[in-house]
Parts: sequence; structure tokens; C-alpha cells
Amino acid sequence: MSKPRVAIFDFACCEGCQLQIVNLEEEIIDLIGVVDVVEWREAMSEQSHEYDIAIIEGSITRPEDEHRLQIIRSRAKVLIALGACAAIGGVNKMKNNFDFNEVKRCVYGKDAEMPHLATTTTRAVHEVVPVDFTIPGCPINGEEFARVVRELLLGKTPTIPDYPVCVECKAKENVCRYEYGEICLGPIIRAGCGAPCPTAGWRCFGCRGFVDNPNVDAAKEVMEKYKLTVDDLKQKMVLFNSK
Amino acid sequence: MSVNTVSKDQFKQFVAALIASEPSVVGVQAKGDRFVFDDLKSADALRLDYDVSILSPRKYVMPQKETLLKFEVGGDCQSVQDGKPLILLGVHPYDMAAINQMDELFSQDEYDTHYMCRRRQITIIACDVVSPSKNVFASSMGTATVQHGYDMLLTDVGESIIVEVRTDKGRVLMNHMPAARPASEDDLAKRSAVWEKNQHVLNKHVLECKPSYLPKLLEKNYDHPVWEEKARLCYSCGSCNQVCPTCYCFDVQDVVNWDMKTGSRVRVWDGCLLENFATVAGDHNFRKNRSSRFRHRLYRKGKYVPGKIGGQIACVGCGRCITACTADIANPVNVYNQLMERTDIG
Amino acid sequence: MCECCTQEKKDIYLPELATITKRRMLNGTELYMHLQLDSGLEMEYTPGQFVEVSLAGIGEAPISISSTPTQKGLELVIRNVGTLTRAIHKLDVGAKLGIRGPYGSTYPVEQAKGKDLVFVCGGIGLVPQRSFIRYVLDNRADYGKVTVLLGTKCYDMRLFREEIAMWMERKDMCVMETIDEAHDCWDGNVGVVTTLIPKIENELPNSLVMVCGPPVMYKFVLMSLAEADVPQGNIFVNLERRMKCGVGKCGHCQINQHYVCQDGPVFRYSDLADVPEAI
Repeated sequence: MSKPRVAIFDFACCEGCQLQIVNLEEEIIDLIGVVDVVEWREAMSEQSHEYDIAIIEGSITRPEDEHRLQIIRSRAKVLIALGACAAIGGVNKMKNNFDFNEVKRCVYGKDAEMPHLATTTTRAVHEVVPVDFTIPGCPINGEEFARVVRELLLGKTPTIPDYPVCVECKAKENVCRYEYGEICLGPIIRAGCGAPCPTAGWRCFGCRGFVDNPNVDAAKEVMEKYKLTVDDLKQKMVLFNSK
Repeated sequence: MSVNTVSKDQFKQFVAALIASEPSVVGVQAKGDRFVFDDLKSADALRLDYDVSILSPRKYVMPQKETLLKFEVGGDCQSVQDGKPLILLGVHPYDMAAINQMDELFSQDEYDTHYMCRRRQITIIACDVVSPSKNVFASSMGTATVQHGYDMLLTDVGESIIVEVRTDKGRVLMNHMPAARPASEDDLAKRSAVWEKNQHVLNKHVLECKPSYLPKLLEKNYDHPVWEEKARLCYSCGSCNQVCPTCYCFDVQDVVNWDMKTGSRVRVWDGCLLENFATVAGDHNFRKNRSSRFRHRLYRKGKYVPGKIGGQIACVGCGRCITACTADIANPVNVYNQLMERTDIG
Repeated sequence: MCECCTQEKKDIYLPELATITKRRMLNGTELYMHLQLDSGLEMEYTPGQFVEVSLAGIGEAPISISSTPTQKGLELVIRNVGTLTRAIHKLDVGAKLGIRGPYGSTYPVEQAKGKDLVFVCGGIGLVPQRSFIRYVLDNRADYGKVTVLLGTKCYDMRLFREEIAMWMERKDMCVMETIDEAHDCWDGNVGVVTTLIPKIENELPNSLVMVCGPPVMYKFVLMSLAEADVPQGNIFVNLERRMKCGVGKCGHCQINQHYVCQDGPVFRYSDLADVPEAI
């Protein structure tokens, strides 16, 4: 059987998730042993229109991005959304909370009106084209990426956890951030990351997006218990989980 | 088998000797302002005065991830028994009680070689509680002290430590404690006093009935409003399952290596509070509501598992779930007492 | 090597290999397979039990046994619903699967002797019921009247069509079939399986009734049986749950106090009175 051809594309993103793939180090050799990478701007100069699996990093923020993404979708048998920007819009969606002209002026100053900086409502990849699999996170968890690729090649349907980060955080024997009076998004955010932020002493920022059925009502009510407010909670959700 | 007394200095030398000569020693030690079981690198790191560990020593008898089989993809499988000799130092009585239950559950009916093989290679040095944790209620559950399961039991009686040796595995370890002398009447009296005290002080939450009454209490309260009242705030995050010393539900997954030809079948911790725990093929979820999952945990602890292990209640009163629950709904004592309020004890 | 290994205790999670000796699609999603254990031995099982089927690297799942121990080999029917079953559907004759078991409770094959029997089958509920039906037909003299009710959602989903046609020809059993949605090629009954219950000629209150079907079916069938005065002690239901380990450890199949993999999948309905999560 010939190796599946993989192409990696980036849209509005920091390319940090692709960097996580590069960071797989020895495993990257294993990876290219089982797939044929035909396009990957960050790591090689070749380009190709022929691929089986398209991996998309980044969110869709400009009118012309939508067209490019649709072409990729039409060429790929399988399309994977890679990282928070592609999966849920991520940090880029913060823009949607503001007036776009104001945002452009703030970010680009006098260059704001240059044509390639035209901006539109930020969308996650699945809000533009159908997505087959999602590997969320800012950045992605390299181990999860590796597992999803292997499962895909085996013909399995890769799944990612649909339970909150707390599961993995407790497994790491962290003390709940709420015990320190901090708002942590862990109880409503999808696990799979291995809870690196709470393990390093931070709160969960919510980069993997909500679980399918988050108990948001509970989250609101629980704020009071810790002498916090719903506004505090909402503020924390803006970073990765703006609409 | 025998009860001895050592000074605290002599005990420290014993721990140092264990670390120096035994293949693997795990002991309780500080992690920030809390405690965890971890590889013990020095006798000084051991903290037998701990209140409670974040996770119970379950993580050593039933690891979070454990290989059951190795296989060739699409082909044959071989058993893997990857347990290794290990000394677990500082297991509190309630956690010992939990391990005793797991031993029974994994050996009854279908004998689980993976669990039992690992378990038999573990030597448990239990220790009586010195500092009660903020949420412990072991006194209510009859697990403030423990009578069996350990190889050695330590009781801190102030200036010295009483060392009870229970098994051959424990007796062998006494070779590392040459200064031990047989415990005197006075030593034994002091130890009894510690036990007597712990029967009462490990009780930050007071269960208003005997634990043996719980199966009957639950039988009468399946449709009690408390399940919905509490579960309304449940995140279904499974924190209560993760930290529980008696939870042993697991998932089984196949992990394939990069060669795409070999791999292993592993079991990993699972939790009945998680949304999809009872989902079957075709996506039908038999415990879809938060309240039915919330209720299931407390029924398992108070009725279902006891039915499998001769009535022993599968909540040992460690209080970890109370601490771990962000929404503050997991406290079994609160729930059981609330049921008591509205139940006629016939 | 520790004590329990030297005691040569069997690894309860270790599958043995079996080879696919026959396979055919029963409809668009259901694959029938006939398997032979590579050990050359016949599996000892009783109708109602299930096996854990695995494909190393893909996964493992509980599958009802559809064959009868009165015949050689093991017959399974596997619906294409997930990663594992999709992979199994791609296997040809000669390919190998891992098998553990048999597990679970059985139909009351002994107790049912001399009694009239009714089988109510909804969709793939026929698969495990077929094991007992065929067992009864292979020991026909031991049992009384046999009635089989078959309900299927639509015409194309019907299972074991030739076999059912043969059953229908038999004088020593009564087979009634219905489909939920009318179809041009179908001139038989249309409606859910409960509509067949009033047509049963057996004396229902004295019959043993075996029920198996999708979760939604039980409630309605059990209501109809109650109306027909069938005592709950005469009803046997075969429940589907996520029997992950098959050996009463992992907790996934638990309904209230019961592990379906040990106490079930076949339950006497009267034993489920205090098991609200069952039906």
C-alpha cells in the first residue's frame, strides 16, 4: 500500500502547532516513515496539489482564506483541524468582540487599509468547511497528534476526550486552582492536553474548547462559592472561547 | 507476628537502609503544602506525619495506565505482567482498607492476574494517622484503624515508633532494623491510646448512622430529591472518581506503535461520573443525566460494591472527594445524612 | 515470576485466535461470520451468552453468539457501527480475530423444557435469540409450542431471510414477521413488533417469553405482555450494555447492582424489579 500523502497548511495562526510536530524529534522520523509529506511550508519547500490528508492550522479571518480553504477541502480525502485557532477559532476570535476597523487601526496603525489586511469575522475551520477530525489545543499536544495520525492510518476513527481537564489534572496530583481562589476553566474544558497549565501552577485557559456538554450553569453558581463573579468567569473565557 | 519499638532516629536509619538496599521504595512526601506518594529518594523526605495524600496509593496497586497485553496488529496477543517489587511506605488505615477491598474484588469470580501479580509484589508498610486531614471521616466508616492487609504497621507514639510485623515480607524487612526491641506493655498501651483517639478524631464529617445501615438507607431512597439537587452543580469532571481509593473502574484501549505493526492493550482509569461512561455502540447512553451518574457513585460505594464484598462499605472516609470537588457536592456524608433526615429507620 | 503466575492462573484478558470460515452480509450493515477457534476446540457455551471479539490494534467489543452449541463453530453477526466493527467488516474468509469467552448468563434452556416458548425479536435482537431458537429446533421434542415474532424497522434491514423462510415452512413452529415502514416488495404485516403479540396462538400466561431488541422496544413489549397476563417471572430479556471487560471488573456495563456481563445479559424480568436502570 502506498503511503498516504499529507499536506500541512497554515491560515491565521502562530504556526506553533506545526512547531509541536517538528518537536516530536525522533518521532518525526517515524512519522515520515508512514506518511508522505508533500507540502509543509514551515519545514520544506515543495508544494503539491495531490494529497490525501490535509492538516489545517489557523483560523479563517480574511475573505480570501475561505476560498483557499475550500480548494484544500475539495482536494483532501481527510481534513484535520490542528490547534486551537483551527479547532475553535481560538485567540483570533477575540477580534469578533470589537469593531473590525478599530481592531485594524489598533493592530496595524497607518497600514490598516492595506488590501491584504482586509479582515472579516474569525471562524474556526469547521465553520467554513466540513472537518473530519480535530486536534485542539494551544499548542496541540504532540502525543495526541501522533496518536491521531497512527489511528487514522490504521483505519480507526480517532477520538479525543469528551471529559473535562480535571480528570487529567487530578491524575497529576495538582491542587485545584479554586482552592487558591483562582478561576480555572478546567471543569468545562476538554481534556487531552494532560493538564500542563495547572501542573505548572497556572489555571486552565480553555485552549481546547468546551466539552460537548459543559455545565456552564454550575460554573456560574460555583463562582459565588469562591467569592468570584460570573463576569470574572466570562472574562477568562474571552481568550480562547469568544464566539 | 511481633510488635517492636524503635526510636525515631533508628527508624530513619531503617528507611535509609530500605532505600539503599531495596529495588524500589515509595513513600509519602510533601508536594507544596500537600502530600503525595512518590519514589522515596531520602529518609528525610518521608513524612509520616502527613494528613492525607492527594491521590491514594491505589495508583501503585492499579496504575493509571497499565499494559495488559502486547500484540501484533490484527494478530496474536501475549500477556504482560509488568509488576515489580515495591515497598509502599506510609499507607494510612483507610487507604489500607481500600486496598483490602480491591484485593478482594480483583481476586473474586474471575481472577485478575494483572492486578494480583502486581499486588503480591508490593510490600505495604502502613502507618496510623498522626495529623487528621480537614475532611477525613474514617472514624465514621470504621476505618480509622486497620487490622489486616499490611506487612508492617507503624504507630507514632511520640518519642518512639511501634512497629508491628504481620507477614513474612514484613519480617524480612526487620533485618534493616537491628536496633528494634520488643515493645513493652507501656508501648502497647500508648499504641492503644493512639488507636482509641483516632477512632474519634478522624471525624470531620459525622455520618449519622452506622455504615452497615447504608445499603438499606439507599434502597429506600432511589428517587430522593437530593440526587437532582446536588447533581445540578455536577461538572461530570470525575474528580471524585480520580481521587477515590476504592474506585477501580477502567477503560481498555489499544495503542499501536509507530511501526504500525506492534502495540499494546492498556487499561486506564475511568470514572462513572464522566458523561460517556455508560454509552454503548450506537451512542445510546444509559446514564445520560448528571443526577443518575451522581447517584450511581454513591450507590456503588454504599450498596452495590458492598454487595460483592460481604457488606463492607466501599467508602473508607478518606475525604479526598470532598476536597477535590470544585462544586462542593461530592461529600458522601452530606448526602447520606440528608437521606437519613427523610427516612424512617425501621 | 510471582506466585500467581506460577499458579498458572489464566489471563482473563488474553484472547485466543479464531479464523473466519464463512462470511456474508445479511443486509447493508450486518455481517454474518462463521468462526473456528484456531485451537481446534469447540467453544462450550449456552444460548444467550456473548464473547469479547477483538482485532489487535483496533479494539475489543462484546458480541452476542448467534449460533447454537448443537452445531459446530461459532456464528456472530456484527453491525457496522464503529471503528472495530468497520475493520471487522473488511476482513475476508481466512482472516483472524481474537475471541474471549463465553461470558454472561444464559437463556433458561433447561427450565424451558416442556414449556411453550415465545421469542420477541426487534431488529438485531434476533441475533442472540437465534441461538436459542436453533437450539430448540435441534432439540425440538424437548420443548412445547414455539412462536417467533420478528420486527424490523424497514424491509431492507431484515436478517437471515432464507432461514426465516425455512422456519415459516415448518409445521412445528409459528413465525410472524412485521416491518415498521411499508415497502413495495412487502405484503406482510406492517407495524411495530408489539402489534403481533395479540396474534400469538400460544397460551401466553403459561409460556416463557424471550425478548431482545433495541433499548426503546422493551418498554412497549413488556407493557403488551403485561396486558396479556404474562407473569414477569416467565419473561426473559437480553440486555445490551458496554461490556468492556466481560468479567465483572471494569464497571461499564453496570446497571444498579448488576454487572450485565456476569448477571446478564439474559435476565428474568421479575429479577429486574429493583433495577430501574435496566429497561
